[in-house]
Amino acid sequence: MRITATQYAKSLYEVTKEKSQSEIGVMAENFVKVLAKNRQTKLAVKIIKKFGEIYNKENGIAEVEAISSRKLEADQIQQIEKFIQGKYKVSEVIIDNKIDEKIKGGIILKIGDEILNGSVERQLRELKKCLKK
Amino acid sequence: MSKDYIIEQLKKQIENFETKMQTEKVGTVLEVGDGVAKISGLSDVMASEMLEFPNGVYGVALNLEEGQIGAMILGEFSGIKEGDQVKSTGKILSIPVGENMIGRVINPLGQAIDGKGEIASDKFYPIEKIAPGVITRQSVNQPVQTGIKAIDAMIPVGRGQRELIIGDRQTGKTAIAIDVIINQKGQDMICIYVAIGQKESKIARIVAELEKKGAMEYTIIVLAGASDPATFSFIAPYSGCALGEYFMDKGKDVLIIYDDLSKHAWSYRQISLILKRPPGREAYPGDVFYLHSRLLERSAKLNKDFGGGSITALPIIETQAGDVSAYIPTNVISITDGQIYLESDLFYKGIRPALNVGLSVSRVGSAAQTKAMKKVAGKLRLDLAQFRELEAFAQFGSDLDENTRRQIERGKRTVEILKQDQYAPMLMENQVAILYALTNGFLDDVEVSKIKAWEADFQRYLDSSAKEVLTLIADKKELTEEIVAKLEKVIKDYKILLN
Repeated sequence: MRITATQYAKSLYEVTKEKSQSEIGVMAENFVKVLAKNRQTKLAVKIIKKFGEIYNKENGIAEVEAISSRKLEADQIQQIEKFIQGKYKVSEVIIDNKIDEKIKGGIILKIGDEILNGSVERQLRELKKCLKK
Repeated sequence: MSKDYIIEQLKKQIENFETKMQTEKVGTVLEVGDGVAKISGLSDVMASEMLEFPNGVYGVALNLEEGQIGAMILGEFSGIKEGDQVKSTGKILSIPVGENMIGRVINPLGQAIDGKGEIASDKFYPIEKIAPGVITRQSVNQPVQTGIKAIDAMIPVGRGQRELIIGDRQTGKTAIAIDVIINQKGQDMICIYVAIGQKESKIARIVAELEKKGAMEYTIIVLAGASDPATFSFIAPYSGCALGEYFMDKGKDVLIIYDDLSKHAWSYRQISLILKRPPGREAYPGDVFYLHSRLLERSAKLNKDFGGGSITALPIIETQAGDVSAYIPTNVISITDGQIYLESDLFYKGIRPALNVGLSVSRVGSAAQTKAMKKVAGKLRLDLAQFRELEAFAQFGSDLDENTRRQIERGKRTVEILKQDQYAPMLMENQVAILYALTNGFLDDVEVSKIKAWEADFQRYLDSSAKEVLTLIADKKELTEEIVAKLEKVIKDYKILLN
């Protein structure tokens, strides 16, 4: 049976869980060897991505992409952090602030496959739809 | 409307406008190919939920797997590329329904494609729906007047029945279906013609013909053309059925024609193979039987408590070289309540409609036949069956006894009477009159070659000079002794007139 990237990532996470730095080094090397033996090195990029997802999930870390029209202030970032911690029950929040002037104002938060859209652009669009009726 | 009022309204709308955060579930396109996309993410999407691709194209989630889903794309898929964002909508695929659909040509998503403007509708029906259950149903008890002598007499179709029309290409399958639609004028029936993978030129011709006969006033055409994506062909019959259900729920009688279900199976096979579902016999996926059974099971006759509406289905299947034992034909034959079997041999012999009377059956329709028709048609089947048997054996010699010769002559005349031109459906009472004349020997002294002309003149005579008998048959729907006497007198009068 073909082994999927998710399965590789899961097993890699399990063998490296709660291990010391040197042990992890050995495990990682072995892992690459196994991958090469199975001739699936082309899956590497996908496995790294999946591994990151699994690691974040297991350790209660949420990676958030925050899109705003201007650079976010420190206290704004703190507010977002609190909001995400409350909503998704995670302990650590990593915020990646991106700037897109097209959204005009407000904020768009991307967490995994969920998007929280609070942009002015979207509200204007909704308003337009509402007025059309 | 005053200006102040408008401003007041606007103010209210603006005040009530909510500025809330909106949560969306999104996924990314992993691969696209031939109308099917693999999407990662979208973890809690429902089966057959609508998805929104960029630039307003919709899709439907079909395969839900770990970590990714397979979806079919409804519409133009050439603009979709890897990495595009796909939103879930939380809605099951549904189409707009309403009275204003009547007389229009629409695509399977309910959008008008006849250039007569958008169809406004605020009511939606899901495309896939579980068929009405046992307690809501009633046995078929009312006929669908097809207007075709051979069908109304020998293979009657009832309201709520599913009668398959099966035959090779170019045997007149669509012609029968169109004739049936034309004959529904004034019969309180809404017709839906679902064209699956058909040539647009053919549909244009059909629409023109229906308009000429005034049949578009009660007809909806759902068109998935040959150049439209396979996904359109796949959902077209379900869309048509959803439209039909809307009218059935309002207590109306609906006639749906699926033209044709073999192309439907092909499009489903294509989608399934691209989604990498395992192929089975003739490369169809394992659930191809369920594909058609769940569609045709939605045809029903509801009982009084549920509005008394009905959906009659006339699915069409095209066979290859008369092979009815291929996979799809056997499936659909076993699902339907009978079949109208058309043969190319008969068609080329000039017997049109090219109905094979021996192989065509109706499993429930005879319960719905009018008494008058039952009386004249009973003998007809027998006459024809005996004729078929004797015909082959009579070719060997001319030394036949009187009885056999008479049966053969009667058979020849029966075949002649059952021929009928396209776009010329006939009323029930006229059918009864001519079939009565035939089965009671009034035509035995007319030459076979002159039968058609005799019949045409006879029908004209009936319509002009014997209206009274026709209305009697139409009202009473049976042949009482009194009506029989009157009918015989009319026939005799006409024969005297001829000589």
